[in-house]
Amino acid sequence: MHSFATWLYATAPSVFIRSHGAWMIPTLQSVHIIGIATAVGSAFMLVMRVTGWLGADQTLLQTQRRYGPWLTGALWVLLATGALLVLAEPPREFDTVSFWLKMALVALVATLALAFQRSVRRHDRRWEGALLARPEVKLAALATLLIWAAIIFLGRFIAYDTVWGHVFPGAKA
Amino acid sequence: MDLTPWLKSLEDSGLATTIRNSAYLFPSLEAAHVIGLGLMLGTITVVDLRLLGLASRARSAERVSSEVLVWTWAAFAVAALTGVAMFTTNARVYAHNAAFLVKLCLLAAAGINMLTFHLTAARTMDRWDHRAAPPIGKAAAALSLALWVAVVFAGRVIGFTTTGVQAREQAPPPAAANFDDFLTGGASDAPPAAPAPAK
Repeated sequence: MHSFATWLYATAPSVFIRSHGAWMIPTLQSVHIIGIATAVGSAFMLVMRVTGWLGADQTLLQTQRRYGPWLTGALWVLLATGALLVLAEPPREFDTVSFWLKMALVALVATLALAFQRSVRRHDRRWEGALLARPEVKLAALATLLIWAAIIFLGRFIAYDTVWGHVFPGAKA
Repeated sequence: MDLTPWLKSLEDSGLATTIRNSAYLFPSLEAAHVIGLGLMLGTITVVDLRLLGLASRARSAERVSSEVLVWTWAAFAVAALTGVAMFTTNARVYAHNAAFLVKLCLLAAAGINMLTFHLTAARTMDRWDHRAAPPIGKAAAALSLALWVAVVFAGRVIGFTTTGVQAREQAPPPAAANFDDFLTGGASDAPPAAPAPAK
């Protein structure tokens, strides 16, 4: 993986982003943060509808139609800006523990979000009523917000990866 | 008014010292700041798009805004408290950082914009509860989105222009005009430490 990172670092697109890095990297990071706000905001509205604390005047399907596309769209924006940031400085990400933990949680949360949206679209109101009556469904929905919080923490810790040296003495700084 | 002694006392406070001496605290504050601002910006967007008539049109504007704004304020509190805590760690540098000052002005503008909305369009909300807001409400919603996006950009630039920068411990030498300094671009005004690479 390290040799791949070194190879990618030397490719023309990587060099190009870095040569304009003074404005391109903060801009990509800012768009990435706006993507995080959109994804977390949409996920929050969906989770709060599952718990019944917000938007109870709408059905789950109506709530999914309102926020689902924003969540999916934001995930694509995050993937695109994230990929460009990795391309700009591959060793900064590939050589860190935080990055790979983050990617595992991103894969998990994206799969959950897509599977959830798919089932809501395919079922009727009776199914919704039965689903929302189960307390463990509400807890699971709230737990996905914790995954989002962990993703944000790990994302920020990519820049401070040396802290893992305290947790895993074998980890590379 | 010179704020330097007060800024210096913030830096010397127990809170600032604890954060500076920890490998985890500053990045954790940054991450909590992102969570706070993410939830805040996300919920503000829900309300602004409703005001603009671009989303949730079928729902009562009053209901959409009142139920979500509690969370917006809670998220704002998280972002503000973590922001203040980060500020204390290097107060004199942040206080003179252009991006930080721009961000403060943008935050003030967002506050004034919100206040204007509450004193104008929000007062007649019962009349447009099931339609888009009147023009002044739409203008406030569009401005709110633009200002908060700008706040995010300014905030990210702060990190790039302050990391590794340290405040000068002593006042600069007496300003007896040194002609050499003018020729070399004022060497005595050069920052003591070069900014660290991108974080």
